[in-house]
Amino acid sequence: MTDSASLLDQPLGDQPLAEPPITEEHVAEVAGAVWDSFLGLPLQLSPDSPEPAAGGMSGVVTISGAWRGAVVLQCPSEHAVAAAEAMFAAQPGSLSPAEVADALGELTNMVGGNLKNLLPEPTSLSIPSVSGGGDSQVFVPAARPVLEVPLCSGTALVRVTLWQS
Amino acid sequence: MRILIVDDSKAMRMIVIRTLRQAGFADHDFAEAVDGVTALASIAAEQPDLVLCDWNMPEMNGIELLRTLRAGGNQVRFGFVTSESTPAMRNTADENGAMFLIAKPFTAETFSTALTGVLV
Repeated sequence: MTDSASLLDQPLGDQPLAEPPITEEHVAEVAGAVWDSFLGLPLQLSPDSPEPAAGGMSGVVTISGAWRGAVVLQCPSEHAVAAAEAMFAAQPGSLSPAEVADALGELTNMVGGNLKNLLPEPTSLSIPSVSGGGDSQVFVPAARPVLEVPLCSGTALVRVTLWQS
Repeated sequence: MRILIVDDSKAMRMIVIRTLRQAGFADHDFAEAVDGVTALASIAAEQPDLVLCDWNMPEMNGIELLRTLRAGGNQVRFGFVTSESTPAMRNTADENGAMFLIAKPFTAETFSTALTGVLV
């Protein structure tokens, strides 16, 4: 799994990155509003920062333009399924993997889109991509993680990571 | 009235329809399209009274759809439902003839406020 401390401690190279105009409070507010509005679930800053469990799912949107990077949302597969069932108003166990991926992609799009609103303009947002299974480790080529925000919804850890190119 | 919901996310299309019903618009007919290209064909064939459209979509995005419609002389009532809502995007939407821009996440009250007076 991705080690949050070691990722953030990576050397920044010859061109130090400017501090992103986004704080963990911004991320918590944005993601919390999405979870509350569309899932009916609480989501708040986690008091600790455990590693995401293996076998989780990840959603990614990239941002290009005046600010370049990506927003990565990671959560346990069970939470992704529960979130999708809430979004689809579906019976437990009734959704296909594609429908779960669709829901996680849209959650990532909403979190990424709202964070993009806080960045220097003009920027554009990509279509979300979703991956699942494996060790759920995510790397964004030619970018570095500049903000990792551990959130919790009940016992589920939801991690939002901002990568900057 | 017929309302076309355009969004590449099936989950979001369902949420928009569910929220419209919660906001008191359950009596209208709802249709769906997955991107701007599909929406163009649906609008030509079905002539909806209102289009509720995501901005960020593959194939043809929301603002490209709106510009294509207006360039072709189609004045269908059009509003955005999108997670991106910068002042520049709101201006672009307005300049191209959108009636409103609803930011995700939204509530039934958001739809009620935006659509009251539009759906008559």
